[in-house]
Amino acid sequence: MIISENTFNNITVIALQGTLDARNATQLKQFKSAAASTTSVVINLSEVDFLDSSGLGAIVSIARVKRAQGGDVILACMNNKVREVFEITQVYKLFDIYDDVEAATINAEKKHTSL
Amino acid sequence: MKTLIIIREQDYEWLDHFFPGIHPLLVPICNKPFAEFLIDFSILAGSEAIRLVMDGPLSDVERYCENGNRWGIPISYASIKNTDDLQTVIDKNQRFCSEDRVLIISGFVFIQYDKQYNYKTIFASLPDGEILSSNRGSLRLRGSRTETQHDMGNIPLSLLGFDSIDVYYQLCMEILNDISSPYVLPGYSNEAYCHIGRNVVISKSAEIRKPVIIGNNVQILADSIIGPKAVIGSNVIIDRESSVIGSIVLENTYIGEHLEVQNKIASGNILIEPESGISIAMDDPHLLTGIHQSGSAKSLFQSIVHRLAAILLITLQLIPFLLLTPILILQGKWKKSTNSYFTAVSEKYLILTTTTIERTGPFSTLAAALSLDRFTLLFRVLIGQLAIIGSWPVVATPSSITEYSKTKSWYRAAVFSYAETEEWPVNTGDTAIIERYYAAHGNPMKDIALTIKALLNRIHETNTHP
Amino acid sequence: MTFHIDTSTGKKLGIAALIGRIDSKNSSELITSFALWQQQTSLFVFDCARLDFIDSSGLGAIVSCLRNAIEHNGDLKLANLSPKVSMVFEITKAKKLFSMFPDTGSAIQSFETNGTE
Repeated sequence: MIISENTFNNITVIALQGTLDARNATQLKQFKSAAASTTSVVINLSEVDFLDSSGLGAIVSIARVKRAQGGDVILACMNNKVREVFEITQVYKLFDIYDDVEAATINAEKKHTSL
Repeated sequence: MKTLIIIREQDYEWLDHFFPGIHPLLVPICNKPFAEFLIDFSILAGSEAIRLVMDGPLSDVERYCENGNRWGIPISYASIKNTDDLQTVIDKNQRFCSEDRVLIISGFVFIQYDKQYNYKTIFASLPDGEILSSNRGSLRLRGSRTETQHDMGNIPLSLLGFDSIDVYYQLCMEILNDISSPYVLPGYSNEAYCHIGRNVVISKSAEIRKPVIIGNNVQILADSIIGPKAVIGSNVIIDRESSVIGSIVLENTYIGEHLEVQNKIASGNILIEPESGISIAMDDPHLLTGIHQSGSAKSLFQSIVHRLAAILLITLQLIPFLLLTPILILQGKWKKSTNSYFTAVSEKYLILTTTTIERTGPFSTLAAALSLDRFTLLFRVLIGQLAIIGSWPVVATPSSITEYSKTKSWYRAAVFSYAETEEWPVNTGDTAIIERYYAAHGNPMKDIALTIKALLNRIHETNTHP
Repeated sequence: MTFHIDTSTGKKLGIAALIGRIDSKNSSELITSFALWQQQTSLFVFDCARLDFIDSSGLGAIVSCLRNAIEHNGDLKLANLSPKVSMVFEITKAKKLFSMFPDTGSAIQSFETNGTE
């Protein structure tokens, strides 16, 4: 899986490309801005074709650490398969999910400045 | 123009009591799922795309509507949180809305329209803002209009808030009686007030009195009377000499002989009196039962595979168990506790004795690594009371029963939990996520592979039970 | 189930309180008990205030009690039917066979005005 990072509207956007599963869940967790506890990130899932329970676990664990320190993980652009996994597992209730990366960053920034 | 439909769990929760297992958007109104009325209206109003947004489960309605090809309009889906306000919902669907005009249907409401009117031009000329509202929802427009202002008064539309079973009943009866047929209803009808589906067998001595709507694969046996004012869903059997008058029978229902169903709603094994909201669940073959499609071959294969795996595991663990358990009991590290647990069948409880091993010292660490604490439970798999891998059995207490009833669709009490195959779960919420995932994506062969993974994980784990 | 004799109207009335569920598992108990009660009287009121649920066998048992009572020149009336149980009587048309009262008192009184013997 390819992980790349960008900044948009002062918010770090981590873009994932490929499949997020057991093999590369750790890769994501160890990625610098994902591991950093205070920065809020937007994770761009538009190029993720599939994720399984370990992939979910990676995202949930990263969010847990960040939220404990005042940060957050916001998700953007899920395809149908990814959305289905979030839905069956009910993980969608734990995240703010946007259909557009820019809208996600604008709202992440708003939350930040209001704190 | 596009349509954004926003439906929240708190608005339709009451429906679950009467029609459990039916998604609120798929509840049939005169045999046509509620969602289809919304889709029909969106198309009539001139929409080019529909997005369905919910803070609850979408998969059933997504499976039914798919990508909207059936109606020739693209349909997409999104999840929101129940705390999101309208602006946040729009932000979360920014790409869908973009700069276009958006018709926002929000709440659990039925839009009473008439297909003869040209809503396209009406909506194109309305100013933005709220158009209609009711106690359960509203209709509003966002974005500027494309035509000159239309006379705001008297738009041929009204909103009906779905807030009780009586509203649902009255709505169905009203649509049934309406000769102007403002909606497109399913079924073949060569006369007014009478729609009949495919493969309907009506006994010669049975009587059909208009207005009536009958679905597909329906059997109406001798000397029965259907109607006036009856809605019969698909896969229904009305047995001999019974009458269904002023009533709605939903799909997969069997109505017994010599019964008089008047002003009622019957859905599977639930009988409802709409006026008072009283419902009674019965599973009586002489009265009312649900007709179930069977998935028995699949579950038979699953139980065989699980039992074989249990036998194998018992054989492998037998000797270590016989050798190590006495030592641990003497050391006081073998702790048992007996509790009553929920099973996948309601009202049926399972009494299990679970064991925990304190991982201190060489013998106990070895025993825990070999998962000997689960040995006794393996025998329950052989008699079919537990699966080999599934969900942690949930202790049955009066306080846990409400939480448990929400999990019934995927809960399968087992010796091992799917959550044990992964390292990241930290609390019961995480455990539930993985258990739900595999309940949907699992199969018996995968279960074996996952059981092996769970066993391997136990080897270096530091505690035996979260 | 509980049973006692009420003589407030001057007649011997058997008042039975039906409790819990009467279904395929225990409906025969009602029939055997009723046969015993018939040795004491032929006029009955079933108080259904604590009757939570009946199915077709339960209903069949109550109807057979009614028939037995009538065969012995007596009667059986029902009181305090819950809305749920009432629905079961309604769809099986059994409702038409019985006199139903909102409380035991009025059921007992009806025997008084009814002048049988």
